[in-house]
Amino acid sequence: MKSSVIRALIALVVGGALTLAAFLGAFFWAGVPDFGFVRTAQQTDSVRYQGPFVQDVDEARYLRNFVGYEADITADGTLTEGRITEASEDGVTLETDAGDVTIAAADFDSAQVHGSTYGRPDWGQKIFYFHVPVAEISFIVFGFAAFYSIRFIMTRRREYDTKARVSMEVTLLFVMFTMATGILWTRAAWGVWWMWEPRLTTYFIMTLLVIGYFVLRNAVEDEERRALYAAAFGILAFIDAPISFFITRLIPSNHPVIERGGLEPPMLATFIIAQIGMILLGYAIYQLRMGEVLLRDRIEHAKTLLER
Amino acid sequence: MASASMRQFKAMLRKDVVMELRTKEMLMSMGLYSLLTMVVYFVALSQAGAGFDPRDIAAGLLWLAFIFTSMLGLNRSLVHEKDQGCLEALLLSPVDRPVIYFAKVTGNLLFLLIVEALTIPVFAFLFLQGETIDLRTMALIPLVLVAGSIGIAGVGTLLATMSVNTSGKDFVLAMLFIPLIYPLLLGAVMATGAAIVGTPEALGVFWTGMAWVIGYDVIMLLASYGLYEFIVGA
Repeated sequence: MKSSVIRALIALVVGGALTLAAFLGAFFWAGVPDFGFVRTAQQTDSVRYQGPFVQDVDEARYLRNFVGYEADITADGTLTEGRITEASEDGVTLETDAGDVTIAAADFDSAQVHGSTYGRPDWGQKIFYFHVPVAEISFIVFGFAAFYSIRFIMTRRREYDTKARVSMEVTLLFVMFTMATGILWTRAAWGVWWMWEPRLTTYFIMTLLVIGYFVLRNAVEDEERRALYAAAFGILAFIDAPISFFITRLIPSNHPVIERGGLEPPMLATFIIAQIGMILLGYAIYQLRMGEVLLRDRIEHAKTLLER
Repeated sequence: MASASMRQFKAMLRKDVVMELRTKEMLMSMGLYSLLTMVVYFVALSQAGAGFDPRDIAAGLLWLAFIFTSMLGLNRSLVHEKDQGCLEALLLSPVDRPVIYFAKVTGNLLFLLIVEALTIPVFAFLFLQGETIDLRTMALIPLVLVAGSIGIAGVGTLLATMSVNTSGKDFVLAMLFIPLIYPLLLGAVMATGAAIVGTPEALGVFWTGMAWVIGYDVIMLLASYGLYEFIVGA
């Protein structure tokens, strides 16, 4: 067997083992985060009582988040205690012992809100250990496809075209995985299957570009021309990848972003294991597919020689 | 040398314009196509109800029309070149490839702008009658039109050069063009919408949209210009 195939098989086994380890780590080692506080009305069986909280509020508009809670509001120097029944940009209505009191936002000085917090375990977060590594690999392999496309245009050597094509195939595979896991998570976390949100939209466009790459390849007869066109389109298409990657940090987006130091050690370790495993799996898939393509080429070549 | 390139550029642009003036094929087909789009819009909006404000989606509808008419025009302009063997002759002649690219882009841009300039009054006449419109902010719309059309023509010319040599020309062009033009479209619709709504806060949105469009233009025109040389000779 060729050494590249052996390396690919080793990567497949090790990557598979690490991904499995990450799977176990995700469910049995890393903690389950909470959604933060939820209203009493949203309680379900899995909601855990966590205790009382006191929240200082310094702007009237934030009170909209606390309808139904007990609050002490200072406005125009006088203190009013009661339960918030209504809150809007214009003001807030309190239900007090002496009847309803409406306080205009203009008079508002400060407030203290009292209530209880409930933690809802966020099981949907578990997909983070797979969705994020898969998405990262899709970007990385897309980068390789663009790199090989540039190499092809520079050298016009056929091997780079093959490499670019196989990279793009692996990109398509990982993009599909990302889409599938992402859609499941979106349903669990946001309650909808799809949202036209910056990250989702740009990633969807990236999916279309990768599909377009193969549409273009299939539509061109001449082999050399096909390779050139595909390389040119691969380079143009890759411009969307950094946009999609950085957009959650550039403009307001619902899509979560990992912050530096935002993960506890068990979560971080599981995440890193999942990443390494997924990189190895991506490499293995690429190498095995590459081996298959090269073998196919050799068979075709042998066939044409025999026919002569 | 620069003057020679300029002469070649002018000659190629003149060829496109003269051919268009004789046949009027591209302008006619694009203009009528955009008119037909308006009919489809009317049908699509016919059930919208009384509380519906057409200004909210006017920008999106306009750019939708521009995108589809531009695809029609781009395809046509390159099909002409290929069927009549003009592109091959151009490649044989001692002309720099970037000059061919920029001449083609300028020609397409010109026709696209003419069709857009004709479409907007028709659209306003059909859909925006009786709506309050701020003419001072509306005066900014030509800026978006030019910036957006430069991107459309620049990327579109490169992609159409590819797609004329494929089987299933129109579909391949649409499949490559629409995802690739998406960032520009988003910025252009943002800016145009802000100009139509015309509140003081909208001006900030307008310039954000313009920044998107101009940034896209710079990146994509450079990339297309660099790649065209390889594509056109293939």
